[in-house]
Amino acid sequence: MKRRDFLLTAASGAMSGLAAPNLARAADNRVLRFIPQANLANLDPIWGTQYVVRNASLLIWDTLYGVDASLTPKSQMCEGHEMAEDGKTWTFRLRDGLKFHDGTPVLSRDVVASLNRWMARDPNGQTIKHTLDSLDAVDDRTFRFRLSKPFTKMLFALGKANAPVAFIMPERLARTDPFAQISEYVGSGPMVFKKDEWVPGSNAVFEKFAGYQPRAEAGEWMAGGKRMMLDRIEWKIIPDAATASAALQNGEVDWWETPIPDVIPLLKRNGSISVDIADPLGNVGSFRMNHMYKPFSDVRARRAVQIVLSQSDYMQAVVGNDPALWKELPSFFTPGTPSYSAAGGEVLSGPRKIDAAKKLLAEAGYDGEKIVLLVATDVSITKGEGDITAELLKQLGMNVDYVATDWGTVGQRRAKKDPPEKGGWNIFHTWHAGADCINPAPYTALRTNGDQAWFGWPKDDHIEALIADWYNAPDDASGNRIIAEIDRASMDFVTYIPTGFFLAYQGWRRNVSGVVKAPFPVFWGVQKS
Amino acid sequence: MSAVLPGDPAAAPTLPDVLPPVRRRGAVMRFVVRHPTIVAGGALIGLMIFIAICAPYLHTVDPTALAPARRTRAPSPQYWFGTDMLGRDIYSRVLYGSRVSLIVGFSVALLASVIGMLIGLVSGFVRWTDALIMRIMDGLMAIPGILLAIALMALTRGSVQNVIIAITVPQVPQVARLVRGLVLSLREQPFVEAATASGSRFWKIAFRHILPNTLAPLTVQATYICASAMITEAILSFIGAGTPPIIPSWGNIMAEGRALWQVKPYIVFFPAIFLSVTVLAVNLLGDGLRDALDPRAAGRL
Amino acid sequence: MLAYILRRVLQTIPVMAFVALFVFSLLYIAPGDPAAIIAGDQATPADIARIHAQLGLDRPFLVRFADWAWRVLHGDLGVSIFTNLPVSHMIAQRIEPTLSLMILTMILSIVIAVPMGVLAAWKQGTLIDRAVMLNAVIGFSVPVFVIGYVLAYIFALQLEWLPVQGFTSISQGFWPFLRTLILPAVTLGGIYIALIARITRATMLEVLSQDYVRTARAKGLGQNSVLFLHALKNAAVPIATVIGLGVALLIGGAVVTETVFAIPGLGRLTVDAILRRDYPVIQGVVLLFSFAFVLVNLLVDLTYTFFDPRIRY
Repeated sequence: MKRRDFLLTAASGAMSGLAAPNLARAADNRVLRFIPQANLANLDPIWGTQYVVRNASLLIWDTLYGVDASLTPKSQMCEGHEMAEDGKTWTFRLRDGLKFHDGTPVLSRDVVASLNRWMARDPNGQTIKHTLDSLDAVDDRTFRFRLSKPFTKMLFALGKANAPVAFIMPERLARTDPFAQISEYVGSGPMVFKKDEWVPGSNAVFEKFAGYQPRAEAGEWMAGGKRMMLDRIEWKIIPDAATASAALQNGEVDWWETPIPDVIPLLKRNGSISVDIADPLGNVGSFRMNHMYKPFSDVRARRAVQIVLSQSDYMQAVVGNDPALWKELPSFFTPGTPSYSAAGGEVLSGPRKIDAAKKLLAEAGYDGEKIVLLVATDVSITKGEGDITAELLKQLGMNVDYVATDWGTVGQRRAKKDPPEKGGWNIFHTWHAGADCINPAPYTALRTNGDQAWFGWPKDDHIEALIADWYNAPDDASGNRIIAEIDRASMDFVTYIPTGFFLAYQGWRRNVSGVVKAPFPVFWGVQKS
Repeated sequence: MSAVLPGDPAAAPTLPDVLPPVRRRGAVMRFVVRHPTIVAGGALIGLMIFIAICAPYLHTVDPTALAPARRTRAPSPQYWFGTDMLGRDIYSRVLYGSRVSLIVGFSVALLASVIGMLIGLVSGFVRWTDALIMRIMDGLMAIPGILLAIALMALTRGSVQNVIIAITVPQVPQVARLVRGLVLSLREQPFVEAATASGSRFWKIAFRHILPNTLAPLTVQATYICASAMITEAILSFIGAGTPPIIPSWGNIMAEGRALWQVKPYIVFFPAIFLSVTVLAVNLLGDGLRDALDPRAAGRL
Repeated sequence: MLAYILRRVLQTIPVMAFVALFVFSLLYIAPGDPAAIIAGDQATPADIARIHAQLGLDRPFLVRFADWAWRVLHGDLGVSIFTNLPVSHMIAQRIEPTLSLMILTMILSIVIAVPMGVLAAWKQGTLIDRAVMLNAVIGFSVPVFVIGYVLAYIFALQLEWLPVQGFTSISQGFWPFLRTLILPAVTLGGIYIALIARITRATMLEVLSQDYVRTARAKGLGQNSVLFLHALKNAAVPIATVIGLGVALLIGGAVVTETVFAIPGLGRLTVDAILRRDYPVIQGVVLLFSFAFVLVNLLVDLTYTFFDPRIRY
């Protein structure tokens, strides 16, 4: 330690000594201060499905099953299950000692009500609901699904991390309309939400739930024992990235979920900060086109963009200079996961063919019409992607109408099926969490069921048939073969264009241990010294 | 008498009758010595206007040309001010950005002054409209300007034109109140009373007697509006509701680079210096004009 | 006079009504849908439409406005679309940080700016005058967030004297409370100091040329006594006026300052609410702001009559 630093430390010690009463400092290693990726503005994981809501909910509510790092669902609240008739009847038994934060035991009827609310909103849940004959509480700890068709992906559906997660709430909360928000936050998870200390936009506080009984196994992602080594977790919402970075350097916070890539070198240089990849499943950038209107209603126009788009440009605009943070993605699926396929992805790599693209555009009958590009300038990822696209379309000789607006407006306008010149759109950008792109089950953006599909409303019966085949696939090997076909067909049809695969860092103070890589911040097992 | 009017940093404490008489002897040097702030402010603004107009010829490249592979380069002989997060040349962006910032500043000042003046004249002179107009102005002023501007930007899409409108609207009531206050005082002056008594029509009195007397304080006020408009443009960009990122402005160059300011300070500091110097120049000009146009305040004690 | 005050108080009602209607219609025609934000990126268009309807956002304009206005008249500002918390509760949570920041900024600015302005007026035309005024102008010229970052870098990151972010309630002790507010107040004070120093200088110049000041000087009173007892006292009204009206300016600066220093204040609440289209919150906050502002305005208009007897109402 340099002399100057020593003096500074001594001085600041004296000052913080004045500031913080000794009592508070004694408990400091049981309190974790965390900067989440976004403001926690609402807290109903079924009604609202933003990732930040899901992440907070994982502390408050527990799940029947939970995926581990290999995405395999493991028993969590359930003691065990029994599958009969090839997957048409599923009987589950809850483990002993489950309690809600208000002290009442978790009963089957709470589970049934919670699953009913969840099925109304979750794509997998809806698949179950379509073939559901009955879902009943057999006794206080047993409940049973009866389906008219076998559903083999039941455990994954109940244990997946993708929002909406099948959280178990007390029956009185679960009775809430799935399209309206709950107003109490009582769960059976390892932490209790302190509603009285919640200042949306600034603070959210969780305290250890004394009545939580973790499973005996080691904790891994949503599976195993969720052992809390902390008494209190304080989420500090810091909207400005420069301030968040300073707060971590200063030790005012212990863990920053999403540091921006450009300040990583600075954090790495700081001896008291650790930095690592946050979510190994990363994210898939998306260039989404409106399939209903010219020019992108013509597959040739979509292909024109596909063969000139340079993923490295997009990825550098999104995550910056660090080559460890991104790679080209010749696929619609998350690299490194069991079902990954690069079938048909060669169109996205290799030299970009600007002349061929211009020819394709001409063949598609493009004649200088305005291309409405929606860009949410308040979100840095979409803003970076939008700027690259504007330049790309300009090179293609397209007439770009760059609509700079906020995410709230993009969210609304992309849902409009009107023609682009009448308040609709041609292109917008977003990204999908890698965890949502592991297979077709959670992958809403891959669907091509026209009017029912995700924004852009792609329509292709062949891809839809393949997805249905995948759901009915008897085993993983044949399922993965179908996924390869889906990937090839989607590339050919250009459902959307993946702009690359990117990762993000997380940063934490060295006195915090037990931080793991996961698609969401895992607080169990985290310690502070 | 002296009426200090709301939100008027210039607060011209007295009402000048006319422009001070110009003396011929040693005109230029004398002016420089007597009004150093006007000269310094004017010269700096002139320089900025020159930069804005001649941006393409000042060794710049296309300010929107992307090169992600060359992003966040430090200033060097090739990139004088470095490159930003998308590899665009900051020197070119700052120079071209002066166009947007100056256009926003000047347009807002002009629009707010003209609209505010007309409203203020009517309100101050036509008694029966006064209450209504002033209540509406109160209402508009009651919404904090920056929040009103953000709301207006949320209403429309990001464009330079919309930014100008969004910043102008909250400024209008201030000018209207200033002019109305002046009119209320002037109305009691003997020369206006005489004109009214002799049966002159409203617009005639307004234009012949009142307008000229409001021009001086209005000019001063306009310079402050101009300065604050440029700052507001930066604030709107900071919040993410400003000029669209494909059009460089000092505000959005700073807003884009601010998260990196600890690692790449030049992205923020070059546009910040340009903005500050320009705002400073406009303010200096305003102060100088106030002293010059206000013979009673100048050169005393 | 009393009748005038009463009339003006009554007149604030239409102003508030105008503000309410104006803001409401602005929000009504604004694009953007809170349901789309709530539903998240993976949601289907049909889900968004259902949430939209559940929030009552598909009702006609007049029905929504009447419903809202009726409840406001009964003292109910409604419930936030996002947090499901009462708007009055959300505002109450955030009044303390904003009010503390503003009051501290005001005290700080007045303590610095008034002597600066007096000094500049007294030494008008000298180097001191120019230095003071240049300083004030610079305070006006540098964007607030740049000042904030630089101050935070020096005093929080390098010297480690003060925290970089956050707010501590005064109920936790005065020193912790002050510690978190010093940097934001200095940052925000920049504009305000400039404003007050200039108005002080201008009014002092005016007052110093008045007959009674000349008389005081002729009586042989000391410089300090002339400046502070006679002149400043007479210059106080317009200075106070501008201080009061500068509050609007402070709110603008507070939006940025609250963001930079992560202070949970009203400015930030409003910006968040606008960007998310949390209509009840926007309406509630704007109504509060306009109520405060209308009252200030009334006071200002009243001081006019004291100040210049020729302006009558």
